[in-house]
Amino acid sequence: MVKEKNPAVILMGKQATDNDNNQTAQMLAAQLDWPQATFASKIEFTDDKANVTRETDTGEEVLAIPLPCVITTDLRLNEPRFIPLPGIIKARSKPLTKLERQTTDQPRVEVLTYTAPATRSAGKKVATVDELIAELKSKGALA
Amino acid sequence: MNLLLIAFDAEDAVTCAAFGQASNHSFDILQLTGSPATHLGAGKVISLDLPSLPPADYFAAALKLIAEPYDRVAAVSSMRGKDALPRLAGLLDWPMISDITEIVDEKTFVRPILAGSILTKVQLNHPKAFLTFRPAGFPAPNLGGESQVESVNPEWIGSSKRLSESLSEGGRPDLATAKVVVSGGRPLKDAETFEKIVGGLADALGGAVGATRAAVDSGIAANELQVGQTGKIVAPDLYIAAGISGSTQHMAGIKDSKIIVAINTDGDAPIFDIADYGLVADLFDALPELTQKLQK
Ligand SMILES: Cc1cc2nc3c(=O)[nH]c(=O)nc-3n(C[C@H](O)[C@H](O)[C@H](O)COP(=O)(O)OP(=O)(O)OC[C@H]3O[C@@H](n4cnc5c(N)ncnc54)[C@H](O)[C@@H]3O)c2cc1C
Repeated sequence: MVKEKNPAVILMGKQATDNDNNQTAQMLAAQLDWPQATFASKIEFTDDKANVTRETDTGEEVLAIPLPCVITTDLRLNEPRFIPLPGIIKARSKPLTKLERQTTDQPRVEVLTYTAPATRSAGKKVATVDELIAELKSKGALA
Repeated sequence: MNLLLIAFDAEDAVTCAAFGQASNHSFDILQLTGSPATHLGAGKVISLDLPSLPPADYFAAALKLIAEPYDRVAAVSSMRGKDALPRLAGLLDWPMISDITEIVDEKTFVRPILAGSILTKVQLNHPKAFLTFRPAGFPAPNLGGESQVESVNPEWIGSSKRLSESLSEGGRPDLATAKVVVSGGRPLKDAETFEKIVGGLADALGGAVGATRAAVDSGIAANELQVGQTGKIVAPDLYIAAGISGSTQHMAGIKDSKIIVAINTDGDAPIFDIADYGLVADLFDALPELTQKLQK
């Protein structure tokens, strides 16, 4: 699809909630041999490059990457705009192209089981800071 | 099965060794910056000795040849790991398993999906794989076993350029691996108040500071302090949540903590449903009182 459409920028979400993988965009960038900027919170385009502010472990950094490139979005990038009802109705009449997916024989990573994680239950209410300190000390959580 | 652990710095190498030991296989460490961590029982430490971390395109292109001979290549699922490792996996066309919380065997792993609301057991149907893991699942490694250091100088090829970067300020322990975390939410008003009240208690406990997304978005706390589904996942021995309602997104990042303490004026706040100890109180009274009593 990229070869057909020849885009200057591929903008993707950073991860899908149903698998939380956070891999697809980076893998695509590698396979295209395009530069990448993941977890973008701000993007500025110039003629031939994008200046991307991205979230990092220690805060943020600004990367200048030449186009074409792959960018993934973080939550702070933008506020999605409100779509009025007529807009939603109008969108329904737009052409929708369906592409066939190339399936592989066996998934390289297969989910065997789904289980619910252990749940936590409500503990104890304490009335004062002193009581809290005493409880934490008795559990060894405070020296 | 041979395992390569990619450590971005010396501190990261310790977390990597914890995963290596949990795998019950021998492992090598590839360390990008800092003096080589030779005391962690790695077969060898491959040291790149870089002045700073390269952007992901350089990283992947340079490390491709080093990673290729291994069966498994793993790193911590930090932002830098999540940025760089899938790119390397894409270059080598290996599958990848992210955010591992438990190793079942060399082909089978446990990882959460849907913001931690479901755990999946996944099986690898391929001889090679990249892995990232959550540090909380793998406790501190045993030390010992001097490792040899091998220096490598791969070719650095890429086209992105770093214009600026904020660095960690240091002083407080790393949020993702801290033993104690004190977090504050929306009612903290401003950055100064947040630092004084939440930072003050964290310092009294020798802990790290965390925040909710509401606090980050309103400019009260820095974005790297965000804890939760879209922030850092923490699992300290003690987590203190002050002025935090307990949204599902926030709880996704704290529910593996050993002890959770909630301090909130609203006795019906959902955070109390998962807290081991709840104190219905104004945080502007309770936190300074706690700080003062713990400093003594
Ligand atoms: C896709 C998505 C991802 C998200 N990811 C995250 C994430 O990773 N992490 C995260 O935290 N959030 C995340 N959120 C946001 C989340 O939904 C909540 O909005 C946020 O966690 C609320 O933060 P809060 O608890 O600080 O604020 P609030 O919900 O406003 O709670 C404030 C609490 O403080 C109490 N309070 C008020 N005054 C005082 C006082 N003086 N003393 C004591 N208590 C007081 C109130 O009773 C209330 O319970 C995400 C949301 C979305 C949509």
